[in-house]
Amino acid sequence: MADRITPEWCLAMAHLEIGHEVGAGLTAIDPVPDEDTEGSDESRLALGRFVSLARRGRGMSIDTLAELTEVDVGELLSIERDAHHLPDTRTLYQLAQIFGVSQHKLMGLSGLTRPKDLKYVDEAIRYAALSESVARLTKEEQAALDGLIAVLSERKGK
Amino acid sequence: MTPPGPKSISQVALMDAVSGAGVPAEFWQPITDKNLADWEAHWRPAIQEQLVLLSDAGVERHLWPQSREWNWRKKHNALGSSLSNESAAVMAAGVTQGMMIVDLDFRARIEEQARQHMVYIDFLEVAPWNRRTLTGGAPRYVGIGTLMIGKAIQRSLELGFKGRIGLHSLPQSNDYYANQCGMRDLGSDANYNKLRYFEMTPDMAERFLMRGERSGR
Repeated sequence: MADRITPEWCLAMAHLEIGHEVGAGLTAIDPVPDEDTEGSDESRLALGRFVSLARRGRGMSIDTLAELTEVDVGELLSIERDAHHLPDTRTLYQLAQIFGVSQHKLMGLSGLTRPKDLKYVDEAIRYAALSESVARLTKEEQAALDGLIAVLSERKGK
Repeated sequence: MTPPGPKSISQVALMDAVSGAGVPAEFWQPITDKNLADWEAHWRPAIQEQLVLLSDAGVERHLWPQSREWNWRKKHNALGSSLSNESAAVMAAGVTQGMMIVDLDFRARIEEQARQHMVYIDFLEVAPWNRRTLTGGAPRYVGIGTLMIGKAIQRSLELGFKGRIGLHSLPQSNDYYANQCGMRDLGSDANYNKLRYFEMTPDMAERFLMRGERSGR
């Protein structure tokens, strides 16, 4: 049987891997977070609202944020608008870096990890609920954003 | 005992991630002493270096590479003598760029092909310098994982399994298997550290191979 995996085939298909990691096999280390059950829609809504507010608070478009974080526009749109979307771990890391908040807490809000302290999740949901998505930040939205940043920063609680 | 040299070598290619140029490479079967030595001499120090960067950057441990504690020598010693296992490595620039161990005694799970033979990918890993990292590291070569998936399909065809393959994905690779390879996601598997299980039917395998054959012409 002819080998169909030729050098030409490899080069034609290599682009599939750009921006992706490829690995398979049983992990022998930390248990993998249960992606199916953790994280409520409410906490993901709070995450989406935080990203939207923080982005707009800095006067950034989705495109600009995508460029800065090297994350797909589609992924950012899904985070902001789709409470069922499970974000990529790298995306949350990049967002935490850009917005200066705790990656650990963003992971907790997203449902990728199970937060030990649920207080910050509840607080984040409360602040998110205070905001409305409009073109420019109102004073109330700015206050909600300030509250979210305080709740999601490393300084306050764990 | 690990054989000193590969029993078979086929010509493949990788893409230089910076220039986009093709890089000649070889697909070795099975994994050899040279590959395991590369893992010890090159992979492990590079992984350690990445872990230091991740730690210094304050990256949470659960975001670190999931395969960071894999020991390929132990894996190979444990599975290398089994008749149902086969192993392979990708070589380029004189160094091992990826390794894979497959199990030929595994049955499919998708309903329409349930209990039929398939090639199951026990372990697949690319060298640490070929992965993007959270701390901004860019890969050196791309295409290693994709060609190993292609080779697993090829082996499935050779054995009469019609291209059926399956694997448990590392968490950071879920979207690659689902969206780039077009494999069926059968969800989180409680028996495998809750890793998601992906499987390919003969139709999916043929589509995957054809994509490269059409655009490679």
